[in-house]
Amino acid sequence: MTTTRTRAAALAIAGALALTACGSGGGGEGGDGDALTFMFRGGADEKAAYQAAIDKFTEDTGVEVEMTVTDADQYATKLQAAVSGNKVPDVFYIEQANLQSYVASGVLMDITDQVEESGVDLDNLWEYGVDSYRFDGTLQGTPEGRLYGLPKDVGPFAFGYNKTMLEANGIPLPDPDVPYTLEEFRQVAQQLTQDTDGDGALDQWGTGLNVQWNLQSLVWSNGADFTNEDRTEVTVDTPEFAEALQYFADLTLVDGVTPSASEAATLDTYQRWMAGEIGFFPVGPWDVSVYNELDFDYDLIPWPAGSTGESATWIGSLGIGVSGTSKNPDAAVQLATYLSTDPTAQQTLVDAEIQVPNLIDMAEEWAGAADAKPANRQEFLDIVQDYGRAMPAAFTYGAQWYDELWVNIQPVLDGQQTAADYLAEVQPKMQALLDESNTNAEMAGGGA
Amino acid sequence: MSRTTTEATPVPAAPAAGVVPPGRAGRGGPARRAASPRRATPAMRRLHRTEHRWAAAFVAAPVLGFLVFTLYPLGYALYASLTQWNGLTAPRFIGLDNYTRLLSDPYFRQTLGNTAFYLIGIPIGLVLALLLAIALNRKIPGQTAFRTIYYVPVISSLAAIAIVWQFAYNGDFGLVNQVLAWVGIEGPNWLQNTATVKPAIIILAVWKGLGYSMLLYLAAIQSVPRSLYEAASLDGANGYQRFRSITLPMVRPVTFFLVVTNIIAGSQIFTEINIMTPTGGPEFSSASIVYYIVRQAFRYQQMGYATAMSVVLGLIVFVVTLIQFRLNRRNSFSID
Repeated sequence: MTTTRTRAAALAIAGALALTACGSGGGGEGGDGDALTFMFRGGADEKAAYQAAIDKFTEDTGVEVEMTVTDADQYATKLQAAVSGNKVPDVFYIEQANLQSYVASGVLMDITDQVEESGVDLDNLWEYGVDSYRFDGTLQGTPEGRLYGLPKDVGPFAFGYNKTMLEANGIPLPDPDVPYTLEEFRQVAQQLTQDTDGDGALDQWGTGLNVQWNLQSLVWSNGADFTNEDRTEVTVDTPEFAEALQYFADLTLVDGVTPSASEAATLDTYQRWMAGEIGFFPVGPWDVSVYNELDFDYDLIPWPAGSTGESATWIGSLGIGVSGTSKNPDAAVQLATYLSTDPTAQQTLVDAEIQVPNLIDMAEEWAGAADAKPANRQEFLDIVQDYGRAMPAAFTYGAQWYDELWVNIQPVLDGQQTAADYLAEVQPKMQALLDESNTNAEMAGGGA
Repeated sequence: MSRTTTEATPVPAAPAAGVVPPGRAGRGGPARRAASPRRATPAMRRLHRTEHRWAAAFVAAPVLGFLVFTLYPLGYALYASLTQWNGLTAPRFIGLDNYTRLLSDPYFRQTLGNTAFYLIGIPIGLVLALLLAIALNRKIPGQTAFRTIYYVPVISSLAAIAIVWQFAYNGDFGLVNQVLAWVGIEGPNWLQNTATVKPAIIILAVWKGLGYSMLLYLAAIQSVPRSLYEAASLDGANGYQRFRSITLPMVRPVTFFLVVTNIIAGSQIFTEINIMTPTGGPEFSSASIVYYIVRQAFRYQQMGYATAMSVVLGLIVFVVTLIQFRLNRRNSFSID
């Protein structure tokens, strides 16, 4: 009895001590031995594709890779926890908006020289993708900055339409090169909005967009923007911006061409699009594998354009960075470079229909393929090369100022407040947060 | 006769024992009977020493745990709340700035208010749990099955439950609105409506916690002495009077326990909100204080500010609990 207890107590104490040791010790351990650790996020398809690509890497180089995959919405928290615990993975996904703080704190390694030495032709990568991970100490996204990551992918957010539905309603198919004007788009959407089974309730709509992901396109093509070029001033209170937001809200409120406003905030319009009830809907490269299985034909077109007459939309991107404390930095950079730029690895990922190729020559071939689905894949490349932009908060120090715009926007979409009133009200709040983020950026930069 | 003598002997000897200096105490007679640790044999002394050492080790384990896992983090949190800290670089001391910023942060007030609103679910849950416990205390067929059914939500994963309820609350094809449609009510889009999102989450929380409170009440009701009810019946008390004057006071300690633990847990409500309304609900109307803290800490890397909010939350919970204990002491009674 006594010995059992003694042992139990000894174990408890030893355990407590061991735990403490773990907590305070460490310091950039990245797995055991030579194995690299790689932390990323994604669904089942993505995980399988990356597993295949990494198996090939291990086969070629003999370097073992331990993978940690998380859900998309948990990734930031998990990574932050890993950083706080001094357990930074050797290679990991990095969001554009977090790059500056990670650079300032030494979590990310400057990989400019290694990538140059490796002989990778950066000119064959999307400029936007590479520049997203450049930082010159003040501004991010500039071509002169040092390189702190490589693009995992670029995510051009394109606009699509249900070809089957348009044909059935006798509407001429939109031109893949000339965008609709806002008025044209409104009219087509009105024609599509119908009660097809005659039960008195609408069951087919022109469109159904989510304000958080679709307003940017309207704002930019209307000649407005979220900040000035230095990213020091919030410019959402301009008439052009208000016009774009009001147009967006009126699609539901006045024109009635979308399912009701509150439903736009749920997944419902996404599900309705997939059920063939919605005429026009955005399409990202990550959607293609799912949309290609749908019961109708769809294709890509440029976004409807506001007063400037030019389409605009955003390009998302996620980067692959290397830990500043990696014990095996050369292999880690090699892995990041491999995942981002190796033709075989890219082919594996592109075949899984989860992304646009990072390599320009490969992408052009991919877009021109005779059996391409959607047929106008070229639109994705046009966005990346031509009319796509970074998300408004992609290159600021944190996104709090930008998120503020969406928090109280619902009354505008419900018609209880005009766009202009709301924007005038929210601008000072956003400005205060942006000022704060810029101050933080300066201090982080100065402290490092 | 002789026995009396022997038994009497120690009595006069006893005071003598006090006079003899301890060190010189003889080995026999009275001294042995009054054996104190100081007069222990070397073997016993060794035993005592080891026992002391082990006792200290036993005490040390939880104390060490407390120091390392509670007191140190607590102290560090207090310090961190006085800094600007992004969780990556070293914290920078800024005094009380975080706390002054709290005062003028509309979202802090709003989320604190939302959290207080969620606490409305506690009395509702307790009343329902007590009624259920009384119902299930009767001899009814399938009693065990019912008890099990009500307890299932308690042992289910909160994350899974939240996802299922999220579907149930869907405005178009959710179960809740389908059921309402049967009786001719057109339900709202629960989670997208500022007026319904908090009640919707309260309903989920009540449903989830019902089984646990019910089980405690059931146990409390069953331990009420039958004699009290018998005496009351003889005095002519009806069912309601028996409930009002016997059952209710007798389950009071359980009620107190449930109120205290529910308020502590309820003021930290987070998981269901984070899953069902990932953006904090329409116009931030479902965001709880912990949701806001997590968002500040992990989405915006404002660790210092988030810690300051946690400290304030901790203080509020502490004060509220203290008040409850005071009130309880004043109102408590004993049936002995």
